Amino acid sequence: MWGGQLAAPHLLRRTDLHDLASTLSLVSRLVVIALVFAVIAAGCSSASPVEGVEPPTPITSDEMQTLLQESTEPIVLNVWASWCTPCRSEAPLLSKAASQFKDDVRFVGLDVRDTPNGAAAFIAEFFPDAPIEHYADPSGAIPTDLGGNRGVPLTFFYRPGGELSYLHFGVIDERTLVLQIDELVNG
Amino acid sequence: MEFTLLGAAAIAAGAAYLMLWWEAKHGNAARCTGNLWEIGVVSAVSGIFIGRIVAMLVDGTNPIAHPADIILVRSGVSTAGASIGAAIVFLWQARKEPIYAADGLSAAALAGLAGWSAGCLVRGTCLGTASDLPWAISQAGSTVTRHPVGIYAAVMFGVAAVAIAWWKAYRRPRAGVPASVAVVAAAAIRLVTEPFQPSLSGGPLWFYGAALAVGIAGAIWFGVLAPRRAE
Repeated sequence: MWGGQLAAPHLLRRTDLHDLASTLSLVSRLVVIALVFAVIAAGCSSASPVEGVEPPTPITSDEMQTLLQESTEPIVLNVWASWCTPCRSEAPLLSKAASQFKDDVRFVGLDVRDTPNGAAAFIAEFFPDAPIEHYADPSGAIPTDLGGNRGVPLTFFYRPGGELSYLHFGVIDERTLVLQIDELVNG
Repeated sequence: MEFTLLGAAAIAAGAAYLMLWWEAKHGNAARCTGNLWEIGVVSAVSGIFIGRIVAMLVDGTNPIAHPADIILVRSGVSTAGASIGAAIVFLWQARKEPIYAADGLSAAALAGLAGWSAGCLVRGTCLGTASDLPWAISQAGSTVTRHPVGIYAAVMFGVAAVAIAWWKAYRRPRAGVPASVAVVAAAAIRLVTEPFQPSLSGGPLWFYGAALAVGIAGAIWFGVLAPRRAE
């Protein structure tokens, strides 16, 4: 049973039919586990929009530049859209960070290439109480004007006065977000 | 689209594979007949996705309504959920010889964690809290010097992995002890490094503390209290 010392990993026991059946059995069990988690999640989720949420205020590129330059506080500017799955994925993290750092940093959300209803539902789902100012950019031109690109999500970190400290492309993780906020506050 | 997470995962997998390869050449004391590489990879990948689902549940996101979110692990993975999920999947796969399999993977798992931590160089996430120590470094354009906490973790995990591999190869500890010591090492390293990590919540210190206690209890049981198994 205990077959002595191991051979090199690439020489280990080859997959035979028994192993294949075992692997398929494992996969089927993993699927069942995932479904159980998902069913539990369906009961725990709070996906229904909150009524009375206003869609984001439209803003032009010049107005956004002015907002950044005139701010006396550091700004975290997150570019999102309700149709963007990665934006949905990172939204809970941004909501928590905005609440935690609201005394030190101003959080601004920029909704791009979106519908007012979609944006309002997104805000209601993810940012109902988060201290984040949301603006709309239906053309999606502002992120490019600020030095980003047309992809979403994007997260810009600005020092007071509008100097860009850091630009993150794609979904942001907790470590990067907190580190860059700390750079804004203490850098 | 970013691929830095995949880069870090590849470094982790490579480090774990190299450790298994080295151990196979020098005598892996675990005597496990199972395919450790497959068991380790399936456990790790399953753990990551289980941890992601747990994180989504905690954030109030419905995995059924938003299944694509599950693969966006960068947005957050529950450490406790991932670890427990990986352990359950591991126990299922290695159910015929779980202790020997755990011993066999102990050094490789720590090597994988070392590789994952070193992957901060690819991900750009090595920096931690501010520090004035001589080896503190700053990010480009910043005046704030910081602990290179990702490197701390990589070095500590690497030293622990090599120490356990050497111990297994040349000292032949009792079955179950290497795996328990590996759990102790991993939890202790996380407990030591977590305060230096940038974090919203301070990290799951409770989970690392619980894992440390479980590891110590396992080491005492397998090393002192449990009857010796017939070889």
